[in-house]
Amino acid sequence: MKRTLWLAMVVTVLVVASLALVGGGTFAQSKVVKIGDLGSKVGVFEGYGKQATMAIQLAVEELNAKGGVLGHKIEIITEDDDTKPGPSVRKAEKLILQDDVKLLVGAVSSGATLAVMDVTKKHKVIHWNAVSCAEFMRTTKFHKYYFSNQPDSRMQANGLAKYILDKMGKRVYIFYTDYAMGQSDGRQFKTAIEKLGGEIVGVAGAPLDTKDFSPWFGDINKTNPDVLFVAFAGTDSLRLMTQLHSFGMTKKYKMAGIDCFLLQADLPAIAEPMEGFVQLNHFSPYNPDKDMQAFNAKYKNRFGTDANITSGSYDGVKFWAAAVEKVKSFDADKVSAALEGMCLDGTHVGRQCIRKADHQVVMDMHLYRIEKGKNVPIAKIAGSDSIGEPMVGKDPVEGFSWEIKKKK
Amino acid sequence: MRPGEYRALVVFAALAALPFVPGMSRYYLLLAFDALLFGTIAMSLDLLMGYTGLVSFGHAAFYGLGAYATAVLLERGYTSLPLCLAFSIVVVGLYAAVVAYFATARRGIYFALLTLIFAEVIYTIFRYTQTFGGSDGIQGLPDAHFWPGVPIETAMQKYYLVLGYLVFAYVVCRVLVASHFGRVLVAIRENEERARFLGYDVQRYKMVVCVISALLTGLAGAIYPMRSAFATPDLMVWTESGEFIISVMIGGIGTLVGPIIGGAFFTILRDKVSSYVDWYFIVIGLVLIFIVLVMPKGLLGIRRLFRRTVEA
Repeated sequence: MKRTLWLAMVVTVLVVASLALVGGGTFAQSKVVKIGDLGSKVGVFEGYGKQATMAIQLAVEELNAKGGVLGHKIEIITEDDDTKPGPSVRKAEKLILQDDVKLLVGAVSSGATLAVMDVTKKHKVIHWNAVSCAEFMRTTKFHKYYFSNQPDSRMQANGLAKYILDKMGKRVYIFYTDYAMGQSDGRQFKTAIEKLGGEIVGVAGAPLDTKDFSPWFGDINKTNPDVLFVAFAGTDSLRLMTQLHSFGMTKKYKMAGIDCFLLQADLPAIAEPMEGFVQLNHFSPYNPDKDMQAFNAKYKNRFGTDANITSGSYDGVKFWAAAVEKVKSFDADKVSAALEGMCLDGTHVGRQCIRKADHQVVMDMHLYRIEKGKNVPIAKIAGSDSIGEPMVGKDPVEGFSWEIKKKK
Repeated sequence: MRPGEYRALVVFAALAALPFVPGMSRYYLLLAFDALLFGTIAMSLDLLMGYTGLVSFGHAAFYGLGAYATAVLLERGYTSLPLCLAFSIVVVGLYAAVVAYFATARRGIYFALLTLIFAEVIYTIFRYTQTFGGSDGIQGLPDAHFWPGVPIETAMQKYYLVLGYLVFAYVVCRVLVASHFGRVLVAIRENEERARFLGYDVQRYKMVVCVISALLTGLAGAIYPMRSAFATPDLMVWTESGEFIISVMIGGIGTLVGPIIGGAFFTILRDKVSSYVDWYFIVIGLVLIFIVLVMPKGLLGIRRLFRRTVEA
């Protein structure tokens, strides 16, 4: 009987302790509205997650200084998504069901964001994506509560492929990180390059968080491309460029990469391998654009570092707050309706407008050549030219094949 | 009713009442789902580790295969719970039979390595096969159904599903270890040569317990997509197997109940600590080191600590 009582006591203590832990995260204050910041806080995409948090913080500080939203002080609840779908879903559920957030910004990894989209759809919460770029988000996975101001793979391909073929070379090798984001970029760039008459001489994917890329270098050298297009991000990009440089391949091939390949903050440390690299970016602190400069100044004043592409998170909070004020409600259906077609000034790239059909912000993009660790603007692509037709519900990769079509 | 059965009944009744505890949220019920599922898997592994003396580093593969079996069916519109479970039994059973056949032919570290290698092969296959969604797995799955017209959609339904499975798995394990078969397993753990000398077909016993443990883990995996709506290769990665082993150790090896507590404790600790600290695994590591050093019998061994303190 003693043992029975003891066991019952253990179960009770565990339950009560767990409840206390869960309860510890909640706040009893009234007139507070919570928003969720879900992203990678450690690991391969740590830089993006932490910078996105800073951008959200800046937006919330500005809004709270003016009285918050609908008279509510905004509070940020930050969670680490572990860069994996499983933890992302668990944390998204925690943010929505436990913390009752009215806006969820995140995640960083495309695979995680895709998984979180199911959660925000199910629980009807406004979901803003400012970093992930897989093409399924505004097509097959799209839902009415999802919004994005991160140019997705299709937009990036439309923006960069023509420049590559016109200025850099016709024979392109695509090397991508083998998960949602990289596969998406690989598919869209292959499609765009081939459509414009270029030749894809080889494609290869390396797993996320690969430590040694050299096993793939032999195949790249064998095909001898004019351009080596790389679709990686975070510490993967740092390692890849360092290793390519040590093999002499950054000098041998012209190189180009995607929007999130490296953050500005990383460039000085890897200036030599990155010299001459052409990168697509929708934001750079080195762009003379007055809106970008104005945003970068206040970001730098607040955090002591330059802003970057993850500052789209700042816009997400501002868009949501504007929509809430417009409809005088936190109701997700009303806010979603208000966000459709909404335009906003003063974002990190100036004025932005959300396209009603697929909730994608129409955004100009810029091409930069990296010189001595800095982005030097070389071209601008209008958002209207790169965004492409809305494809909600349609398969964006229908008929796609990784097969290499040899040109004679 | 025997005292052990009475105790189990009290504990399961307390768990059944959990959804009605004041302040219980849907999120906490989902967290309880994860905790009990992890605990069930740890208990299944305890059959091997605690009772047979075999350490498997490949249980994540059984778990992941079960999850994928369900995910493949749900993705194609086959949402029946019994069908998903039956399909998982077939898939995991076939794989487990192959692994068990080869792995049980070796002992100790070689058994552990073979289970790890098989699991890594399975992980790599799923990681690179686009039919199964590659590295992103199969996502956006619809709700499963208890039977036609009754979907498993609420947090409470999901909680009772996993609780029901925990009860089932516990009864299976308890009956097994109390049987002659279970005593032979303990004999194998204590002295394999002597068990063989006494005429027992040691490898056959090890194979059978390996497959049973794998099936119980695979069925837990089959339930997971009904809560998460996805199955990804991350479920099969070797670190997941490591977490199962840790759960067994911190709960109390060779006790069945201990690993359930260990798995639940590990899940809740990971979830809560990661909400407050970025490098949460360092904190978790320190807690685990403390448990191993101070409570070598695991959390279940805390009774002795209390008893000693009281006596002192």
